[in-house]
Amino acid sequence: MSDLSSQYLQKSKKHILLIGVLSIITLIFAVYSMGTGSSSNLGFWSTLKIILGLQEGSNVQNAIIWELRFPRILMAIVGGTALATAGALMQGALGNPLVSPLTLGVASGAALGAALAIVLGWTFIDNSDLTIVLNAFLFSLLVVFIIIQLGNMRSISPESYILVGIAITFISGAVVSTLQYFATDAQLSALAHWSFGSLSRPKIENAVFISFILVILLPTALMWSWDLNALSMGGDEFAISTGVDPVRIRKNILVLSALMTSVVIAFTGLIGFVGLAAPHMSRIFVGNDFRKLIPCSAVLGSFLMLFADTLGRTLFAPVVIPVGIMLSVIGGPFFMYLLLKKSGGKY
Amino acid sequence: MTELLSVKDLSFNWGENKVLNGINFSIQPNEVVAILGVNGAGKSTLIKCINRILKMKTGSVQMFSKDLQTLNLIQLSRLVSYVPQSVRTSFGIDVFDVVLLGRRPHITWRVSTRDQDIVSETIRFLSLDEFAFRRFDQLSGGERQRVIIAKAIAQGANLILMDEPTSDLDLKNQIGTMKSIKEIISQSQDKAALIAIHDINIAAKFADRILLLHEGKIVSNGTPSEVLTPENIATVFGVTSQIIPSKDDKPMRILIEDELQEGNE
Repeated sequence: MSDLSSQYLQKSKKHILLIGVLSIITLIFAVYSMGTGSSSNLGFWSTLKIILGLQEGSNVQNAIIWELRFPRILMAIVGGTALATAGALMQGALGNPLVSPLTLGVASGAALGAALAIVLGWTFIDNSDLTIVLNAFLFSLLVVFIIIQLGNMRSISPESYILVGIAITFISGAVVSTLQYFATDAQLSALAHWSFGSLSRPKIENAVFISFILVILLPTALMWSWDLNALSMGGDEFAISTGVDPVRIRKNILVLSALMTSVVIAFTGLIGFVGLAAPHMSRIFVGNDFRKLIPCSAVLGSFLMLFADTLGRTLFAPVVIPVGIMLSVIGGPFFMYLLLKKSGGKY
Repeated sequence: MTELLSVKDLSFNWGENKVLNGINFSIQPNEVVAILGVNGAGKSTLIKCINRILKMKTGSVQMFSKDLQTLNLIQLSRLVSYVPQSVRTSFGIDVFDVVLLGRRPHITWRVSTRDQDIVSETIRFLSLDEFAFRRFDQLSGGERQRVIIAKAIAQGANLILMDEPTSDLDLKNQIGTMKSIKEIISQSQDKAALIAIHDINIAAKFADRILLLHEGKIVSNGTPSEVLTPENIATVFGVTSQIIPSKDDKPMRILIEDELQEGNE
């Protein structure tokens, strides 16, 4: 084996080790987070023992850990994973570092669905916790359907996807603003609360449902790693010369990542930043090889979401700051620092 | 001898505008063939029709008697590699990883030791070792072009298509890169290169054969001394020239004198 090959191997091993360490840190933080909150602080080891069944927790402790915090933490992990992976996939497929899961208009569709449910009462099911969620999901699927239709046009360029996404965002925004104009104070409050992006709404069955979807979608995304590597070189000619059909693969990847996004934000509301920041932070750590970038973005996304939510729950306890706000406030400056410090402003 | 590439009656239109019309030529193994012509003559279009980046209107392209239209893109990219005029990426990708993309048609998921070694050898062959683990987007235009050439070579395809591969290179690297391409083609029994190029002296020095493209048609096809005559150069490029024939292993040289004046044709 040549020097360059062994250097490449060493680098790859270092990256895999880093992803492993990040995963362990996330798990440890998840345990810490399950024991920490406004109502009861159990300490890391006690929490770990209760989780592993090595220590008998009181009824209150069990209820707090398993019924209050576990669904929220599982949702932070799967939500962060899904949004960060979707961001990485979209950036690669469109060869554009400015893209986030919200760029294609999926979130705007969801917001429109939520607004229609809250203000006009246009819903598909009645008297259920899932009314707004289902509306948000179905309207975001409408955007996914538009993406599929766009993808069926052979001449569609990456820029066209982004421009159509921006158009959808403007149209939805206009309708939502109109609805807000006629909404009552209570409706406005509900709509604002939905749009903050929060992990307090989803129940354990919601988080488990998203986990199952991710178990199917994540390996599919990983299968396209080499295609994404070629697509992220920024030109269809380059992709074709390496055996990738850019139009078909781009469509498949965008549909998959739009689905990942819509299934999460229907439950959580608008959380966008993690899908932009986690892939870029991961690039600084492991480079742009999607075989490593997808897992690293997934782990980093879940960590960022968990960290921001835990901070949001504890910083001004008993007041809970929604995770969407915390992510932008804490993550934004940190992201800028990393970009400027570690890579001289380059992605 | 089996032809490596055979192009028959190829035509291509941009809307109503006929860009290529009735193109016929073939390439033998071990040949380096240059396509010469003015801007807009259809050099890049011809290359992109062969590797199916563009869809030709009529005609057929065969490699080793196999119709390239019938292959899927993976099969095609095992036979044909391509160096575009320029590649720009917004992401920080290591040079090694860019060259590794040449192995994409041979890789399902895992990069084998053989793939790594091919990439390493190619990087060394083109003297890119010193920036093997630097970011592609931080290289100069010329360095980037050499990396993309390395990617095309690492692909191990039988036909290397190149669209102005030396346009961003300094004089030394132009010669060095063309020498490397010539060496690869001459050392293998089943490889050839088709290169769209502007510099007729580089073409005269390195090409075994030249296709002269003018207004969408091949107006001359032969060895450099057969094709690069003052008459052909005047017709195609609109300039007067003087030819210094090859002598004692030195290639022929073309001295461009002036624009062709009207009534002087």
